[in-house]
Amino acid sequence: MPAAATSTGVYVYGIVRAEELPAVSAEGVAAARVELIERDGLAAVVSRLPEGELRVKRRDLNRHLQVLEEAFAETTIVPCPFGTVLQSEQDVESALLAARHDELTATLKRLDGNVQLNVNAVYEEEQLLRELVAGNSEITGLRDASNQLGDAGYYARLRLGELVATLVDERRQADAERILSQLLDVAENVVTDEPGEDGVLKASFLVSRKRVDRFDARLEETARMEHPLIRIEVIGPLPPTAFAGALTER
Amino acid sequence: MAVATRGTSSNYLQRAPSPSGLADVLDVILDKGLVIDAFVRVSIIGIEVLTIDARIVIASVDTYLRFAEAVNRLDLMQTETAGIQELRDGGSSGKRKAEGALEGAKDKMPGMGSSEKESSR
Repeated sequence: MPAAATSTGVYVYGIVRAEELPAVSAEGVAAARVELIERDGLAAVVSRLPEGELRVKRRDLNRHLQVLEEAFAETTIVPCPFGTVLQSEQDVESALLAARHDELTATLKRLDGNVQLNVNAVYEEEQLLRELVAGNSEITGLRDASNQLGDAGYYARLRLGELVATLVDERRQADAERILSQLLDVAENVVTDEPGEDGVLKASFLVSRKRVDRFDARLEETARMEHPLIRIEVIGPLPPTAFAGALTER
Repeated sequence: MAVATRGTSSNYLQRAPSPSGLADVLDVILDKGLVIDAFVRVSIIGIEVLTIDARIVIASVDTYLRFAEAVNRLDLMQTETAGIQELRDGGSSGKRKAEGALEGAKDKMPGMGSSEKESSR
Protein backbone atom coordinates (compact mmCIF):
# COMPACT_ATOMS: atom_id res chain seq x y z
CA MET A 1 0.00 0.00 0.00
CA PRO A 2 1.55 3.33 -0.99
CA ALA A 3 0.67 4.91 2.32
CA ALA A 4 2.35 7.89 3.91
CA ALA A 5 5.80 6.95 5.03
CA THR A 6 5.35 7.56 8.73
CA SER A 7 1.89 6.24 9.46
CA THR A 8 -0.61 3.60 8.35
CA GLY A 9 -3.57 5.83 8.68
CA VAL A 10 -5.44 8.62 10.43
CA TYR A 11 -8.43 7.58 12.52
CA VAL A 12 -11.21 10.19 12.35
CA TYR A 13 -13.73 10.63 15.20
CA GLY A 14 -15.65 13.59 13.89
CA ILE A 15 -15.65 17.17 12.61
CA VAL A 16 -16.02 20.35 14.64
CA ARG A 17 -15.63 24.06 13.91
CA ALA A 18 -12.00 25.07 14.30
CA GLU A 19 -11.28 27.06 17.48
CA GLU A 20 -14.33 25.67 19.26
CA LEU A 21 -12.48 22.65 20.64
CA PRO A 22 -9.10 23.43 22.23
CA ALA A 23 -8.06 19.82 22.84
CA VAL A 24 -9.32 16.35 23.73
CA SER A 25 -7.75 14.62 26.70
CA ALA A 26 -9.44 11.23 26.32
CA GLU A 27 -7.28 8.45 24.96
CA GLY A 28 -7.91 7.52 21.32
CA VAL A 29 -8.18 4.20 19.52
CA ALA A 30 -5.10 2.01 20.14
CA ALA A 31 -4.22 4.32 23.06
CA ALA A 32 -3.08 7.10 20.71
CA ARG A 33 -3.16 10.79 21.55
CA VAL A 34 -6.12 12.68 20.08
CA GLU A 35 -5.26 15.63 17.84
CA LEU A 36 -6.96 18.16 15.61
CA ILE A 37 -6.36 18.76 11.92
CA GLU A 38 -7.63 22.18 10.82
CA ARG A 39 -8.56 23.52 7.43
CA ASP A 40 -10.80 26.39 6.30
CA GLY A 41 -12.51 26.92 9.64
CA LEU A 42 -13.18 23.23 10.26
CA ALA A 43 -11.25 20.76 12.37
CA ALA A 44 -11.15 16.97 12.22
CA VAL A 45 -10.77 15.18 15.55
CA VAL A 46 -8.22 12.45 14.80
CA SER A 47 -5.54 10.14 16.14
CA ARG A 48 -2.70 8.28 14.40
CA LEU A 49 -2.92 4.56 14.01
CA PRO A 50 0.15 2.56 14.92
CA GLU A 51 2.17 1.05 12.11
CA GLY A 52 1.25 -2.45 11.11
CA GLU A 53 -1.98 -4.28 11.59
CA LEU A 54 -4.55 -2.89 13.96
CA ARG A 55 -6.79 -5.35 15.71
CA VAL A 56 -9.98 -3.80 16.94
CA LYS A 57 -10.62 -4.37 20.61
CA ARG A 58 -13.68 -3.86 22.73
CA ARG A 59 -11.80 -1.10 24.54
CA ASP A 60 -11.46 0.78 21.25
CA LEU A 61 -15.23 1.01 20.94
CA ASN A 62 -15.36 2.76 24.31
CA ARG A 63 -12.45 5.03 23.38
CA HIS A 64 -14.20 6.13 20.19
CA LEU A 65 -17.33 6.94 22.17
CA GLN A 66 -15.42 8.75 24.92
CA VAL A 67 -13.63 10.99 22.43
CA LEU A 68 -16.97 11.88 20.84
CA GLU A 69 -18.53 12.54 24.25
CA GLU A 70 -15.69 14.78 25.38
CA ALA A 71 -15.78 16.82 22.16
CA PHE A 72 -19.57 16.98 22.30
CA ALA A 73 -19.43 18.37 25.85
CA GLU A 74 -17.50 21.35 24.40
CA THR A 75 -19.11 22.01 21.07
CA THR A 76 -21.19 20.72 18.16
CA ILE A 77 -19.68 17.70 16.43
CA VAL A 78 -20.46 15.78 13.26
CA PRO A 79 -19.58 12.24 14.40
CA CYS A 80 -17.97 9.64 12.16
CA PRO A 81 -18.86 5.95 12.43
CA PHE A 82 -16.54 3.67 14.37
CA GLY A 83 -13.62 2.57 12.20
CA THR A 84 -13.34 5.63 9.96
CA VAL A 85 -9.72 5.74 8.81
CA LEU A 86 -8.19 7.87 6.06
CA GLN A 87 -4.85 7.31 4.39
CA SER A 88 -3.07 10.46 5.49
CA GLU A 89 -3.32 13.87 7.07
CA GLN A 90 -3.42 15.32 3.54
CA ASP A 91 -6.48 13.20 2.75
CA VAL A 92 -8.25 14.43 5.86
CA GLU A 93 -7.59 18.02 4.78
CA SER A 94 -8.37 17.71 1.09
CA ALA A 95 -10.84 14.82 0.68
CA LEU A 96 -12.77 15.60 3.83
CA LEU A 97 -12.43 19.12 5.26
CA ALA A 98 -11.94 20.97 1.96
CA ALA A 99 -13.94 18.81 -0.45
CA ARG A 100 -16.97 18.63 1.84
CA HIS A 101 -16.64 22.01 3.51
CA ASP A 102 -20.08 23.37 2.65
CA GLU A 103 -21.91 20.17 3.49
CA LEU A 104 -20.08 19.84 6.82
CA THR A 105 -20.76 23.47 7.71
CA ALA A 106 -24.46 22.96 6.97
CA THR A 107 -24.58 19.75 9.03
CA LEU A 108 -22.87 21.45 11.98
CA LYS A 109 -25.46 24.20 11.81
CA ARG A 110 -28.29 21.69 11.67
CA LEU A 111 -26.95 19.84 14.71
CA ASP A 112 -26.26 23.01 16.75
CA GLY A 113 -28.07 22.99 20.08
CA ASN A 114 -29.33 19.43 19.67
CA VAL A 115 -28.60 16.20 21.51
CA GLN A 116 -29.40 12.60 20.72
CA LEU A 117 -31.49 10.46 23.05
CA ASN A 118 -31.65 6.73 22.39
CA VAL A 119 -34.93 5.18 23.46
CA ASN A 120 -35.27 1.45 23.88
CA ALA A 121 -38.66 -0.04 24.67
CA VAL A 122 -38.84 -3.76 25.44
CA TYR A 123 -41.59 -6.13 26.44
CA GLU A 124 -41.75 -7.82 29.79
CA GLU A 125 -42.00 -11.14 28.03
CA GLU A 126 -44.09 -12.99 30.57
CA GLN A 127 -46.64 -10.20 30.76
CA LEU A 128 -46.83 -10.07 26.97
CA LEU A 129 -47.34 -13.83 26.61
CA ARG A 130 -50.01 -13.81 29.29
CA GLU A 131 -51.95 -11.17 27.37
CA LEU A 132 -51.58 -12.99 24.06
CA VAL A 133 -52.50 -16.40 25.44
CA ALA A 134 -55.52 -15.19 27.37
CA GLY A 135 -58.66 -16.05 25.43
CA ASN A 136 -56.89 -17.41 22.35
CA SER A 137 -58.30 -20.91 21.83
CA GLU A 138 -55.90 -21.74 19.01
CA ILE A 139 -52.93 -21.19 21.30
CA THR A 140 -54.54 -23.16 24.10
CA GLY A 141 -55.24 -26.07 21.72
CA LEU A 142 -51.71 -26.18 20.35
CA ARG A 143 -50.27 -25.90 23.82
CA ASP A 144 -52.32 -28.86 25.06
CA ALA A 145 -51.35 -30.89 21.99
CA SER A 146 -47.67 -30.17 22.39
CA ASN A 147 -47.86 -31.00 26.10
CA GLN A 148 -49.59 -34.34 25.52
CA LEU A 149 -47.17 -35.35 22.80
CA GLY A 150 -44.17 -34.59 24.96
CA ASP A 151 -40.92 -34.99 23.05
CA ALA A 152 -42.86 -36.11 19.97
CA GLY A 153 -44.64 -32.76 19.92
CA TYR A 154 -41.83 -30.92 18.17
CA TYR A 155 -43.99 -29.75 15.25
CA ALA A 156 -46.86 -28.81 17.51
CA ARG A 157 -44.42 -26.75 19.55
CA LEU A 158 -43.03 -25.17 16.40
CA ARG A 159 -46.55 -24.23 15.23
CA LEU A 160 -47.40 -22.87 18.65
CA GLY A 161 -44.25 -20.79 18.69
CA GLU A 162 -44.84 -19.52 15.17
CA LEU A 163 -48.37 -18.47 16.06
CA VAL A 164 -47.14 -16.63 19.14
CA ALA A 165 -44.36 -14.95 17.13
CA THR A 166 -46.92 -13.71 14.59
CA LEU A 167 -49.09 -12.29 17.34
CA VAL A 168 -46.04 -10.62 18.92
CA ASP A 169 -45.15 -8.99 15.58
CA GLU A 170 -48.66 -7.60 15.13
CA ARG A 171 -48.67 -6.35 18.66
CA ARG A 172 -45.22 -4.79 18.26
CA GLN A 173 -46.22 -2.69 15.27
CA ALA A 174 -49.16 -1.17 17.08
CA ASP A 175 -47.22 -0.58 20.30
CA ALA A 176 -44.21 0.96 18.55
CA GLU A 177 -46.42 3.32 16.55
CA ARG A 178 -48.24 4.45 19.69
CA ILE A 179 -45.03 5.15 21.64
CA LEU A 180 -43.47 6.96 18.69
CA SER A 181 -46.54 9.14 18.21
CA GLN A 182 -46.29 10.41 21.78
CA LEU A 183 -42.72 11.59 21.32
CA LEU A 184 -42.56 13.02 17.80
CA ASP A 185 -43.80 16.49 18.63
CA VAL A 186 -41.17 17.04 21.34
CA ALA A 187 -38.29 15.93 19.09
CA GLU A 188 -36.65 17.52 16.05
CA ASN A 189 -36.17 14.23 14.25
CA VAL A 190 -36.15 10.48 14.75
CA VAL A 191 -34.34 7.48 13.29
CA THR A 192 -35.58 3.99 14.11
CA ASP A 193 -33.53 0.82 14.33
CA GLU A 194 -34.55 -2.83 14.18
CA PRO A 195 -35.82 -3.68 17.69
CA GLY A 196 -34.38 -6.84 19.23
CA GLU A 197 -36.28 -10.04 19.93
CA ASP A 198 -38.09 -8.72 22.99
CA GLY A 199 -38.00 -5.22 21.62
CA VAL A 200 -40.93 -2.95 20.87
CA LEU A 201 -39.14 0.14 19.64
CA LYS A 202 -35.53 1.16 19.28
CA ALA A 203 -35.12 4.75 18.16
CA SER A 204 -32.72 7.68 18.27
CA PHE A 205 -34.34 11.06 18.78
CA LEU A 206 -32.72 14.36 17.94
CA VAL A 207 -33.86 16.73 20.68
CA SER A 208 -33.20 20.42 21.18
CA ARG A 209 -31.31 21.08 24.43
CA LYS A 210 -34.10 23.47 25.34
CA ARG A 211 -36.66 20.69 25.06
CA VAL A 212 -34.74 17.86 26.74
CA ASP A 213 -36.80 18.37 29.92
CA ARG A 214 -40.05 18.23 28.02
CA PHE A 215 -38.96 15.17 26.12
CA ASP A 216 -37.95 13.51 29.37
CA ALA A 217 -41.28 14.33 31.01
CA ARG A 218 -43.21 13.00 28.01
CA LEU A 219 -41.16 9.82 27.99
CA GLU A 220 -41.67 9.37 31.71
CA GLU A 221 -45.41 9.70 31.20
CA THR A 222 -45.26 7.21 28.34
CA ALA A 223 -43.28 4.74 30.45
CA ARG A 224 -45.86 5.06 33.22
CA MET A 225 -48.72 4.37 30.82
CA GLU A 226 -47.01 1.41 29.16
CA HIS A 227 -46.08 -0.19 32.48
CA PRO A 228 -46.10 -3.13 33.23
CA LEU A 229 -46.22 -4.60 29.71
CA ILE A 230 -43.41 -2.44 28.29
CA ARG A 231 -40.23 -1.24 29.94
CA ILE A 232 -38.66 1.93 28.54
CA GLU A 233 -35.04 2.97 28.84
CA VAL A 234 -33.41 6.19 27.63
CA ILE A 235 -29.68 6.70 27.06
CA GLY A 236 -28.20 10.15 26.70
CA PRO A 237 -27.70 12.97 26.02
CA LEU A 238 -25.41 11.54 23.34
CA PRO A 239 -23.51 13.10 20.44
CA PRO A 240 -25.90 13.01 17.46
CA THR A 241 -24.37 9.98 15.72
CA ALA A 242 -27.61 8.89 14.05
CA PHE A 243 -28.18 12.31 12.50
CA ALA A 244 -24.83 13.09 10.91
CA GLY A 245 -25.54 11.41 7.59
CA ALA A 246 -28.06 12.22 4.91
CA LEU A 247 -31.35 12.95 6.61
CA THR A 248 -34.90 12.06 5.89
CA GLU A 249 -37.06 14.71 7.47
CA ARG A 250 -40.07 13.57 9.41
CA MET B 1 -25.91 14.47 31.89
CA ALA B 2 -28.99 16.50 32.72
CA VAL B 3 -31.33 13.64 31.95
CA ALA B 4 -29.59 11.18 34.23
CA THR B 5 -29.37 13.30 37.32
CA ARG B 6 -32.94 14.50 37.19
CA GLY B 7 -36.19 12.69 37.78
CA THR B 8 -35.11 10.39 40.57
CA SER B 9 -38.73 10.36 41.73
CA SER B 10 -39.65 8.09 38.85
CA ASN B 11 -39.88 4.33 38.94
CA TYR B 12 -40.98 3.82 35.38
CA LEU B 13 -38.41 5.30 33.01
CA GLN B 14 -34.87 3.95 33.26
CA ARG B 15 -32.26 6.60 32.53
CA ALA B 16 -28.59 6.20 31.68
CA PRO B 17 -26.31 9.11 30.77
CA SER B 18 -24.11 6.95 28.57
CA PRO B 19 -24.31 3.47 27.03
CA SER B 20 -22.64 0.80 29.13
CA GLY B 21 -23.42 -2.61 27.62
CA LEU B 22 -21.72 -3.64 24.40
CA ALA B 23 -24.99 -3.72 22.46
CA ASP B 24 -25.82 -0.15 23.50
CA VAL B 25 -22.34 1.11 22.60
CA LEU B 26 -22.60 -0.52 19.17
CA ASP B 27 -26.02 1.04 18.68
CA VAL B 28 -24.46 4.48 19.04
CA ILE B 29 -21.22 4.21 17.07
CA LEU B 30 -21.49 1.39 14.55
CA ASP B 31 -22.63 2.46 11.08
CA LYS B 32 -23.83 5.75 12.55
CA GLY B 33 -22.34 9.03 11.47
CA LEU B 34 -20.84 10.87 8.55
CA VAL B 35 -20.65 8.65 5.48
CA ILE B 36 -17.24 8.80 3.82
CA ASP B 37 -16.61 7.39 0.33
CA ALA B 38 -14.91 4.01 0.37
CA PHE B 39 -12.13 5.13 -1.96
CA VAL B 40 -10.73 7.61 0.56
CA ARG B 41 -11.16 5.25 3.49
CA VAL B 42 -8.72 2.65 4.70
CA SER B 43 -10.20 -0.50 6.17
CA ILE B 44 -8.91 -1.79 9.46
CA ILE B 45 -8.93 -5.39 10.56
CA GLY B 46 -11.90 -6.54 12.54
CA ILE B 47 -14.46 -3.96 11.48
CA GLU B 48 -16.26 -6.18 8.97
CA VAL B 49 -16.43 -9.09 11.41
CA LEU B 50 -17.71 -6.74 14.08
CA THR B 51 -20.40 -5.33 11.81
CA ILE B 52 -21.68 -8.68 10.63
CA ASP B 53 -21.75 -10.28 14.06
CA ALA B 54 -23.36 -7.29 15.69
CA ARG B 55 -26.27 -7.59 13.31
CA ILE B 56 -26.57 -11.28 14.03
CA VAL B 57 -30.01 -12.62 13.28
CA ILE B 58 -31.33 -15.34 15.51
CA ALA B 59 -32.89 -18.13 13.47
CA SER B 60 -36.69 -18.05 13.46
CA VAL B 61 -36.99 -21.67 14.52
CA ASP B 62 -35.12 -20.91 17.71
CA THR B 63 -37.43 -18.01 18.39
CA TYR B 64 -40.53 -20.11 17.79
CA LEU B 65 -39.38 -22.89 20.09
CA ARG B 66 -38.44 -20.39 22.75
CA PHE B 67 -41.89 -18.78 22.58
CA ALA B 68 -43.55 -22.18 22.73
CA GLU B 69 -41.48 -23.15 25.73
CA ALA B 70 -42.28 -19.87 27.45
CA VAL B 71 -46.01 -20.31 26.88
CA ASN B 72 -45.89 -23.83 28.25
CA ARG B 73 -43.93 -22.69 31.28
CA LEU B 74 -46.47 -19.96 31.84
CA ASP B 75 -49.23 -22.56 31.91
CA LEU B 76 -47.34 -24.89 34.18
CA MET B 77 -46.78 -22.18 36.70
CA GLN B 78 -50.39 -21.13 36.69
CA THR B 79 -51.62 -24.65 37.38
CA GLU B 80 -49.15 -24.98 40.19
CA THR B 81 -50.62 -21.75 41.59
CA ALA B 82 -47.19 -20.33 42.02
CA GLY B 83 -46.83 -17.10 43.91
CA ILE B 84 -46.31 -13.98 41.89
CA GLN B 85 -42.73 -13.66 43.06
CA GLU B 86 -41.98 -17.15 41.84
CA LEU B 87 -43.44 -16.32 38.46
CA ARG B 88 -41.33 -13.25 38.25
CA ASP B 89 -38.17 -15.14 39.16
CA GLY B 90 -38.82 -17.84 36.58
CA GLY B 91 -39.49 -15.37 33.82
CA SER B 92 -36.58 -13.11 34.43
CA SER B 93 -34.00 -15.82 34.92
CA GLY B 94 -34.87 -17.31 31.55
CA LYS B 95 -34.57 -13.92 29.97
CA ARG B 96 -31.30 -13.22 31.70
CA LYS B 97 -29.96 -16.44 30.30
CA ALA B 98 -30.91 -15.42 26.78
CA GLU B 99 -29.39 -11.99 27.16
CA GLY B 100 -26.24 -13.49 28.60
CA ALA B 101 -25.88 -15.78 25.64
CA LEU B 102 -26.25 -12.88 23.23
CA GLU B 103 -23.77 -10.71 25.10
CA GLY B 104 -21.40 -13.67 25.18
CA ALA B 105 -21.62 -14.08 21.44
CA LYS B 106 -20.98 -10.41 20.88
CA ASP B 107 -18.12 -10.28 23.34
CA LYS B 108 -16.23 -12.73 21.24
CA MET B 109 -16.28 -10.66 18.10
CA PRO B 110 -13.90 -7.77 18.47
CA GLY B 111 -10.63 -8.81 16.94
CA MET B 112 -12.10 -12.11 15.91
CA GLY B 113 -11.10 -13.32 12.48
CA SER B 114 -8.08 -11.10 12.24
CA SER B 115 -4.91 -13.02 11.94
CA GLU B 116 -2.45 -12.81 14.78
CA LYS B 117 0.58 -11.10 13.38
CA GLU B 118 3.78 -13.00 13.85
CA SER B 119 6.63 -10.91 15.04
CA SER B 120 9.63 -11.48 12.85
CA ARG B 121 11.94 -9.80 15.29
